[in-house]
Amino acid sequence: MTEKTKDEQLSYEQARAELASVVERLEAGGTSLEESLALWERGEELAGVCQRWLDGARARIDTARQKPEE
Amino acid sequence: MSAGEVGRGAPPERSTSEEPWPVRVVSQKIGAWIARLGWVWVDGQVAQISRRPGATTVFLTLRDPSADLSLTVTTNRDVLDAGAPELREGARVVLHAKPEFYAARGTLSLRADEIRQVGLGELLARLEKLKKLLAAEGLFDRARKRRPPFLPGRVGLITGRASAAERDVLTNARRRWPAVDFRTVNVAVQGPSAVPDIVGALKVLDADPAVDVIVIARGGGSIEDLLPFSDEALCRAVFACRTPVVSAIGHETDAPLLDYVADVRASTPTDAAKRIVPDLTEEVRLIGQARSRLERAVRNLVDREQHRLDLFRSRPVLARPQVMVDQRAADVTALRDRAGRCLEHRLSGATDDLRHTLARLRALSPAATLDRGYAIVQRGDGHVVRAASEVAKGDPLRVRLAEGELTATVDG
Repeated sequence: MTEKTKDEQLSYEQARAELASVVERLEAGGTSLEESLALWERGEELAGVCQRWLDGARARIDTARQKPEE
Repeated sequence: MSAGEVGRGAPPERSTSEEPWPVRVVSQKIGAWIARLGWVWVDGQVAQISRRPGATTVFLTLRDPSADLSLTVTTNRDVLDAGAPELREGARVVLHAKPEFYAARGTLSLRADEIRQVGLGELLARLEKLKKLLAAEGLFDRARKRRPPFLPGRVGLITGRASAAERDVLTNARRRWPAVDFRTVNVAVQGPSAVPDIVGALKVLDADPAVDVIVIARGGGSIEDLLPFSDEALCRAVFACRTPVVSAIGHETDAPLLDYVADVRASTPTDAAKRIVPDLTEEVRLIGQARSRLERAVRNLVDREQHRLDLFRSRPVLARPQVMVDQRAADVTALRDRAGRCLEHRLSGATDDLRHTLARLRALSPAATLDRGYAIVQRGDGHVVRAASEVAKGDPLRVRLAEGELTATVDG
């Protein structure tokens, strides 16, 4: 399973929790340049996953709201 | 025991097809059988009174208070006037009578020698007694009461024809729930036939599988008018109903026994309408409210999470990753500068040293002296000869001049 799909399996809460720890470690500093870059990239990926979850949720609300009254 | 004698020889024990009894014998035997009942006290409701002026005999039709049965009563006008003056139809009476078979036309009637009108007080006393009895039997137990459905498929309505009660129930229910489906059975709501009518209607509606709730509705009325709704047979019939029954009798203050035995007591027909169907507009409003609260809750959740995500993304480490690189780039340039400065420092230092040592070298160096014409004499072993004694005749010598060198040997 490629890295991409594994990320998509992440629940919103899991992605956000990991994002939080990435930010913490980055802010703590002390990581090598290579590690920092890797962490930053990971952070961006996770933020993307979270954003997709939220956009999806919003879309579902909107479609549900527009469903014609049965 | 064979029938009594009839003048001539007793008729044979049994009638046979060969020897049938004549009518007179049969009616006489009937008369005898009937007479065996003897005097009885009878409780009933006067359905009809026929007093022909001048006649001494008065005919009454007496009905059973609950069942659809009646008997004719004959009595003497004096007996009637003594016991129950101005007796009206519908009145409840107790009479002392014995059954009489009127052979001429083969009819049966009760011959009353005493009639008493049952006063209201006594009627109410009986009602209280009945109430205690039914309560003791558990007909009023709350646990036995069933809840009518929130939204009935069909409502059974037992009420007087074109009565105010009927109108109140129908209009109010329809205003609340336009689609409500009624099956109305019109009955007498007072007088002798009330109870049998209502019990009959109950059976019909209870048997209808589509009917989910039955309402018995009647407008206000006198205590006598409402008495049928405290009748034992009616109460037992309601109790036996499988379908929940709503009692809506009279005004708020009226509480016939039906109220206690019914599954739901409505104070008035209008109140009954409110209890049997939900209010559509109210329900629609509630559903609308629920939907908007649902949406608000879920939108708030998503907005709150979006806000938290935005917070994360706005953190410098994520928002401006260049910071990490710039930081390090700055460190590198700083280091490079320092390195550069060190180098320069060292170089200039070195050049200074060089110059000094060169100067010293030059100061020490014999070149200047040689320039002035002096020469350096060295022995073969390189030793610089400072004294003649250091060499001997024939020793080779090396003579270094300002420019070039010579070799020589010692002559003496």
